[in-house]
Amino acid sequence: MTTRNDLTDLAHRLILRAARQAPAPLAARLQEEWLADLQSRSGALARLRLALGCCWATAVITRDFGVPRLATSGAVSGHRAHLADLQQMLPQLSRRTLTFILIGAVHVLLIYSFATGLAQQVAASIPQVIHASFSEERRPQPPPAVAPEFKPRKIYDLAPPVVDTQKIEFPPEAPAAKPKGGDGTADPETQVAAPPPQRLVGGPGKDFPRTDDYYPALSRRLEETGAATVQVCVDTQGRLSADPTLARTSGSRRIDAGALALARAGSGHYRPSTVAGQAVNSCYPYRIRFELN
Amino acid sequence: MGKDKDVRMSLQTLRVLEAFLENPTEELAGTDVQKRGQLASGTLYPILLRLEAAGWFVSRWEGVDPAHVGRPRRRLYRLTSSGLARASEIFGSFGRGVIA
Repeated sequence: MTTRNDLTDLAHRLILRAARQAPAPLAARLQEEWLADLQSRSGALARLRLALGCCWATAVITRDFGVPRLATSGAVSGHRAHLADLQQMLPQLSRRTLTFILIGAVHVLLIYSFATGLAQQVAASIPQVIHASFSEERRPQPPPAVAPEFKPRKIYDLAPPVVDTQKIEFPPEAPAAKPKGGDGTADPETQVAAPPPQRLVGGPGKDFPRTDDYYPALSRRLEETGAATVQVCVDTQGRLSADPTLARTSGSRRIDAGALALARAGSGHYRPSTVAGQAVNSCYPYRIRFELN
Repeated sequence: MGKDKDVRMSLQTLRVLEAFLENPTEELAGTDVQKRGQLASGTLYPILLRLEAAGWFVSRWEGVDPAHVGRPRRRLYRLTSSGLARASEIFGSFGRGVIA
């Protein structure tokens, strides 16, 4: 509890400090605004993150509003920010003049250090003797001849699309041919259970529209990715028999809309589900993923 | 700080505008925009100030008594009519020919 309170206090102090360093006309407003936003946060870490962000925001706001902009103002690097601070302190000097003064000061400092022997003292303080030791090269030992341990390969469970078997229409099953004994009744020893008919779930088929063509442009610009699951009902010709619905949202309305649009556009290009090789009407969900290339 | 200036449309600026375009008449505090746009505070506040300086937003203090509600008043931002028009124009340009 104490740590939590400490973090909150720290966040509070950081915001006060950040607001004080903001341009004067904005300082009071930013302080009140940020403190109000701080209070609306729950959790000490969230508050600390906000406070650190405000410190960063102060630097950017100072750059934008605190000093006159240069004609070619772009991303201001650290030394430019320091120059801007200096310029605030010495407004009568231009930025270029300040740069020359700084460069001159560095040169004067270097010349002074050489003239007074300060540089030699610094050089003398560096140890002269360098001890080097050579260690024997270690060659990699061949691995012991042990039979490799058998490790079963990991099988990734790629879950097939969930199929609502209640909605799949199955063709009437033909009566299984029963092997008959001599008296015409089924021989229990030779009777073999017929295998269940193989069911294959449909999906996007040949000439199905490309996902990229239905990637919402704004989502692409906002670098928004995601996967939506749509429920489609497809007839035996691969056409939609009902309007597709959203089975599971991607979390983005745009991505969901794009997925539904793609599902609609694919009508006539679906691969119908099959039971024992025979196309049947079916409804099934499938995922549509929009990813940036 | 002139009005109706052009603003560089960075990804983060678009996210801020998008948060307001969900309901263009709604007033939002910085925290609300941050949650909707999933932006860091260090990025958000300079953008809000920049858009306000450019005339896209106006802001005001929340009309509540802090002593009464038990919290400080928040700064609320709202799209101006010209800001709404510019933002709509920009977002509309993304939707041309493609479902958005």
